[in-house]
Amino acid sequence: MDPQLLENLNGLLDKEVDLREKIREQVNELDKKARTMVGLLNKIHSTSPEAIPALLDTVRPHLSGVQSVTLSLSEIIPQNQFWRWKDMWTNSLRTVVFCAALVEYLSTRALLSLPDAAKIIGVREEWSDRIALPVEDYLHALISLVNELSRLAINSVTLGNFEEPLKISQFVKELFAGFSMLNLKNDLLRRRYDSLKYDIKKIEEGQS
Amino acid sequence: MQSKTTESLFQTFRDHLDSHHDTRERLIKASRDITNISKKTIFALHRIALEEQDRQVQHPGRNAAIKAYESLSEVKAIYEKLQPELEGDSFWRYERQVSPGLQEYIEALSFAHYLNHGSLITYDQVQETLLDSNGTPYFPLTIADYLLGLSDLTGELMRYAISSITKKGGRERAMSICAFVRRCRSDFERMTPYIRELSKKQAVTTQSLEKIEDAAYTIVLRSSEYELPPDILDDIVAQVIATHSSGRIDLTMD
Repeated sequence: MDPQLLENLNGLLDKEVDLREKIREQVNELDKKARTMVGLLNKIHSTSPEAIPALLDTVRPHLSGVQSVTLSLSEIIPQNQFWRWKDMWTNSLRTVVFCAALVEYLSTRALLSLPDAAKIIGVREEWSDRIALPVEDYLHALISLVNELSRLAINSVTLGNFEEPLKISQFVKELFAGFSMLNLKNDLLRRRYDSLKYDIKKIEEGQS
Repeated sequence: MQSKTTESLFQTFRDHLDSHHDTRERLIKASRDITNISKKTIFALHRIALEEQDRQVQHPGRNAAIKAYESLSEVKAIYEKLQPELEGDSFWRYERQVSPGLQEYIEALSFAHYLNHGSLITYDQVQETLLDSNGTPYFPLTIADYLLGLSDLTGELMRYAISSITKKGGRERAMSICAFVRRCRSDFERMTPYIRELSKKQAVTTQSLEKIEDAAYTIVLRSSEYELPPDILDDIVAQVIATHSSGRIDLTMD
């Protein structure tokens, strides 16, 4: 190989490594926030309905804190390279969206929409080639939401709250109906979707 | 939450996922087609280049290369059609589907380039074959695909060196291929930590290199023993190789 070419290639590869490290830093930050929120939200299983709003209020600052990470990522990631780097933060971001959806459900009993989820994590339309919230990740977050709510249905009964499973059941069934409209390929989303029926069964048991 | 909104919501998700899966399938199929064309081109390169050696043309391999460029233009046509699906960020989304065919194409292209020029095709030269009529790349060529394609080239060169070692001028050719592959291997080494699959391919390159080295070594050994003029030696080598079926060259004559 021509020495000049060799040097160019090595230079480019070094740059990629630098970029990866910069992204990694932000992803670590995102991951910390996601874990903090999951930790806080874990308390819903042992919190009485009256105390839930106060608990959710402790989560909200962390949720909005995600926006600064999103902003940094939008600055670091080169134009048109969202999909190139996305795998690095996919898991953390799904967890964050799951937390946002859970907070939304417990506050308003409504499904957090994809555009609203994007707004909460601070993704802007004009950054879509650098940072975005793809449908797949949103759907994964919703499945995590169902998983979590099926636990909550059981644990609410333990706490003496017999209303909760009924509400959750209705919400989850509708989501499940939505998921069954999708033509899923044999991938992770499919496998996780298949597991939803066990969640529904669990919730229904909590009702009786 | 009202069912109607959930339904229409998931309707859009379904459309989105469907179109994503369709694109993915199309690209996988295209990648397979490109692999096929490239593999056929590589076979043809071996075949024609060896024929040219038999006919003792002045630059054996050159015509083979020209024919290869022609058949590889089919690959270009496929990429041309795919261009809208690979625009902007889409290439990165479907990189895993595009890469296998692309690397095979680079392998074929670099083999033709080697037979034509005796040198390693550069990154820019590969990218130049993947431009539309406005000079815009169909997609950004990654260093990984470039290097992994070249890494496969060393295997083809090993096969070429060994199968043509029996022809006129074959020993000299094997020597220069040997030196070339050795250079490739050392050039790629520093980049191995950056590119996941490269270290596995480096191991294969090392094996190929050893095969050529063994062949070259045996031949040097024998030629010094016999002190024959190169022409006659060529004939002896040809005879021995013809009776030898395994990949390893072992010139035991007694």
